[in-house]
Amino acid sequence: MGQIVFFQGITKRFGEVVALREINLGVEQGEFLSLLGPSGCGKTTLLRSCAGIETPDAGRIYLEGKDVTDYPAYKRHVNMVFQRWALFPHKTVAENIAFGLMLKKVSQVEINRQVRNTLELVKMEGYEDRFPKQLSGGQAQRVALARAIIMQPKVLLLDEPLGSLDLKLRKEMQIELINIHKRLGTTFIYVTHDQEEALTMSNRVVLMNQGTIIQDGTPSEVYQKPKSVFVAQFIGEGIFFKGKVTSIEGTRCQVDTGNCLLHGTASSGMELLKEVTVCIRPERVRINCVPDARGENQIEGQIVNTIFKGPAVHYQLQITGGQIITVQQNLEQDIPLYTSQSILNLSWPAESGIVLAN
Amino acid sequence: MAETSQIKKRKWLGPIWNLGPLSTFMFIFFIIPVGIFVIYSFWSVRNYDIVRNWNVDNYIKVFTSPVYLKLIFRSIGIGFGTAVLAVIFVYPLAYTMAFKFIKYRDLILFILTISLFSNYLVRIYAWRSILSASGLVSWIMMSLGLASEPQFYLLYSSWAVILVLMNVYIPYATLPIYSALLNVEKDIIDAAGDLGARPLRVFREITLPLSMPGVTVAFLFIFLLATGDFVTPELVGGKNGMMIGSSIATQFGLVMNWPLGSALVVSTVLVFVALIAMLVVAGRIFKSLKKSGRMGTS
Repeated sequence: MGQIVFFQGITKRFGEVVALREINLGVEQGEFLSLLGPSGCGKTTLLRSCAGIETPDAGRIYLEGKDVTDYPAYKRHVNMVFQRWALFPHKTVAENIAFGLMLKKVSQVEINRQVRNTLELVKMEGYEDRFPKQLSGGQAQRVALARAIIMQPKVLLLDEPLGSLDLKLRKEMQIELINIHKRLGTTFIYVTHDQEEALTMSNRVVLMNQGTIIQDGTPSEVYQKPKSVFVAQFIGEGIFFKGKVTSIEGTRCQVDTGNCLLHGTASSGMELLKEVTVCIRPERVRINCVPDARGENQIEGQIVNTIFKGPAVHYQLQITGGQIITVQQNLEQDIPLYTSQSILNLSWPAESGIVLAN
Repeated sequence: MAETSQIKKRKWLGPIWNLGPLSTFMFIFFIIPVGIFVIYSFWSVRNYDIVRNWNVDNYIKVFTSPVYLKLIFRSIGIGFGTAVLAVIFVYPLAYTMAFKFIKYRDLILFILTISLFSNYLVRIYAWRSILSASGLVSWIMMSLGLASEPQFYLLYSSWAVILVLMNVYIPYATLPIYSALLNVEKDIIDAAGDLGARPLRVFREITLPLSMPGVTVAFLFIFLLATGDFVTPELVGGKNGMMIGSSIATQFGLVMNWPLGSALVVSTVLVFVALIAMLVVAGRIFKSLKKSGRMGTS
């Protein structure tokens, strides 16, 4: 088994609430895996049961093939970066980072050497003697990370570690975490509710909702081939049309929305007259002021709002039937923006319309 | 310019306004009375009348008499013992309330508060009846065959005083420790476990140090209150459990020697402060030694 962590049938209840329902998940050695989902989907509970902080009601957890379900947290070779960092407020930065090694009875000389190296890795040299309350959020974040990675864990667990940082710092830390992951080669399990963060950082995304795994794949898979309307809506932006399947031809199918006929692609298991949702990613839609023959799908809409985003502009359009949709135009060149009230023609190929059962 | 100086003045005035009520209160009801004590302690008494002849006879009496110094030290000893024992007894309770019996913490708190409603004197008399030679403990010991005659030593001893003082002051010790423990984040405890600390180590390295402010407050509270108590030693202390508070009360009441009483008060406070200062200094030295020791090995 090449899998470093294996969750087998993990179930956890908190009173009446089921946090996890028979989760089966294997994590490969060296992966950067994101557990993604809305709050309360059970992702943190799964992470904490891997750390040994939470005990599952049913199921087993294997670490390097060994059943560690009944091991207390202090016996597991995994370490965690906590959501609010959980630094020891009465210890200095150096003491915080040295804590785990000190418990292992590593010699003071070796501890000092490793603390120095780890501080360098997280770019916090010179902060050894500060106390946690003297650090900014980003700095505390780095110390929390250093405290965990100095232990050279088999798996590093990260529980929304960037959640309380501001946007700019968060983007910086994302890149740094990716670099640290590359450098250490350690398996990372990363919990987040931010789909963009999950797509940016990980090489595998596990999407959870209501205690179960909804989809599991690479970032591009979950973005381009969502298996359900929930995934399509949760990850990335999209234009959604509800309708009924009127014809099927292999993977192609035609959907009647009541106002127009759309051509799309379905994975499998489509039936005639099935209630479906068609999802189109905004970047796949071509915008024109005159009808464009290239796409199989053609609809018209009137601009109600223009939202300037810098690299792109978003138009909110009202289409026949009253539905408001948002499309995106990339500003690659100096092209004129469409003015308000003008009528736009939208077109996209059938491959870009993902037909999903409701 | 005028405007900025106005603002500066207001900024400076703000804290004064905030401190005003308390400092006025403390000045009238603490500084002035203590000042009066200090002045009195340098006067003397002749025929139950206070004579304003400045002298240090009272202090000479306090520090040369074998009785007073002994009483002062015994009081501090009893106060210290009470505080140490109370903290030791209360800590596990507060810990349980904060981390284990989370469901029942309010109930426990309620029960503790209820004990504050019963009158202090009533409780002391209850203890008298429990500890007296014809009391409950003695009777149980005799019925179990552990003793053949009434046990007189139970009451009227330093231990009886400590026992009763603990009972009286324990609710005051619980709250600071409990609230300090409530402030210890669960995540911090989990983080220590995650880094490989066994439960006992987590307690020693994390929970205990983080709850120390509460422990210190509880300890000082009880230390001060118990050292100054004079009703309990009067009623359950007897000759062996007599404390300085009783003899101060005697000087002010029965003997009508206010100057000597004041000198006793001032001396007690001085000895007390000196001891605390020594403790603090010792603590500092210990801490810096520990730190330099750690530095040395690196």
